Amino acid sequence: MNRIIAISTPQLLLAFVFIIIAQASSFIYHLGLNRDITIGAVRTFAQLFLMGYVLTFIFSSESLWLTIGIFVVMVVSAMFIVKGRVNEKQVPYILPTFLTMLVTYFATALFVSGLVVGTTPWWEPRYFIPTGGMVIGNSMSAIAIALERLFRDMRQQRELVEMKLSLGANYREASDDLFRNAVTAGMIPSINAMMGVGLVFIPGMMSGQILSGTDPLIAIRYQIVVMFMLVGSTAVTSIVVMLIVRKRCFGSGEEVLLTPR
Amino acid sequence: MEPLLEIRGLGFRYEGMAAPVFENLDLVAGAGEFILVKGASGTGKSTLLRLICRLNRPQSGAILFRGKPLTDMTPSLLRSHISYVAQIPQMADMSIGENLLLPFSFLANRTKTPPSNEMLERMLAQFYLEGTGLGQSALKLSTGQKQRLAIMRSILLQPDLMLLDEPTSALDPESASMVFSIMERLNAERNMTIITVTHSDYLPKSVRKVLFMLQNRQLNRITDL
Repeated sequence: MNRIIAISTPQLLLAFVFIIIAQASSFIYHLGLNRDITIGAVRTFAQLFLMGYVLTFIFSSESLWLTIGIFVVMVVSAMFIVKGRVNEKQVPYILPTFLTMLVTYFATALFVSGLVVGTTPWWEPRYFIPTGGMVIGNSMSAIAIALERLFRDMRQQRELVEMKLSLGANYREASDDLFRNAVTAGMIPSINAMMGVGLVFIPGMMSGQILSGTDPLIAIRYQIVVMFMLVGSTAVTSIVVMLIVRKRCFGSGEEVLLTPR
Repeated sequence: MEPLLEIRGLGFRYEGMAAPVFENLDLVAGAGEFILVKGASGTGKSTLLRLICRLNRPQSGAILFRGKPLTDMTPSLLRSHISYVAQIPQMADMSIGENLLLPFSFLANRTKTPPSNEMLERMLAQFYLEGTGLGQSALKLSTGQKQRLAIMRSILLQPDLMLLDEPTSALDPESASMVFSIMERLNAERNMTIITVTHSDYLPKSVRKVLFMLQNRQLNRITDL
């Protein structure tokens, strides 16, 4: 019953059928996605294999510093992805965003791994790294969405913000709606995920556990912890990042620094 | 007597632009003065008003309010004394009444008393807006109506200095002269200092000074009437 079926190399190559289907669709309908699909497929293959070997090495080494090192590399990579998506040059948001992500994600992974699951030591790589990975992956998207929204609204509603400023509002009062909308936009996917989980979809982690032979009743407990963890860390990170970055959208005279593109 | 506003050697250039909008601009406004700012498009009239209320930062020169550099003042407190009405009036997605009372919800204005509904309705009538109700959405008003409402909202704060950027640009002649006459009355009765950018030929009686902003940015001149 609990037998794990390992995927052999020929079986793995069989999965490329899906990539061929995607390539053919792009070719037939002139979607112009062939290059991206190829790069995506190669990167998925290479990155995951690399990750597999790295994880095997880290799990066997049982080194605290190596575990933290790989965690930092994951956060740095997430920051680069956020930077690529947001593409904002007028406001220096990268350093505060990175530091907030690092601290919040670390605290969340530590809490879940060390306290909720109760691993010994608290940084047990088999738990700490996948937990950190899930937090980083989900929250990274939320931050990118929230930042994009904040910068876009700040530009589009600049005159409205300035109207409030010119009537005596401080920068917080003038941009209160923008801040709230940005945080909400970032959090909605995590909240929606909580609504749909178990009904609309079976999350990746739970599916993975079940496929590897874990009792579904144990898998759901992990999944509940993960869902709550994602909502909590997304909320904290989005709010802290938005508070810092919003302040940086204004100059020393509380004037709006973002100009129309 | 110490002037209310003093501008010394002000220079401003927009980022990415080679030439400054103006350089070495000087202006002094005493309490209760009514100053007109005139000039062709692009000479920096609106920019000047935005610099006075710190919505833009100058590259050179200094602006003093009651003898104190603007940079030494908390921006929101400064703006509770200096009110700026932009050329394109902005309304929050709220009712007319809520828009008029919006500034009183800001910390910097907490010592100011919000007007009663009766007072607001009286003022709406003064501004030829008697047909509109306080509960009506402000976003559904015409540009001219919004312009009058924006001026009214600023007046309610009883600032020491009002900066108006083409306040009558969207108004018919009758409404425009009504706005100017209200500004003149505020200027005379409350000793409110007013600096207004205008293209209108109308010259309020209390105006004693006109600042002509010229294309050749070195030659801005002030005419005392």
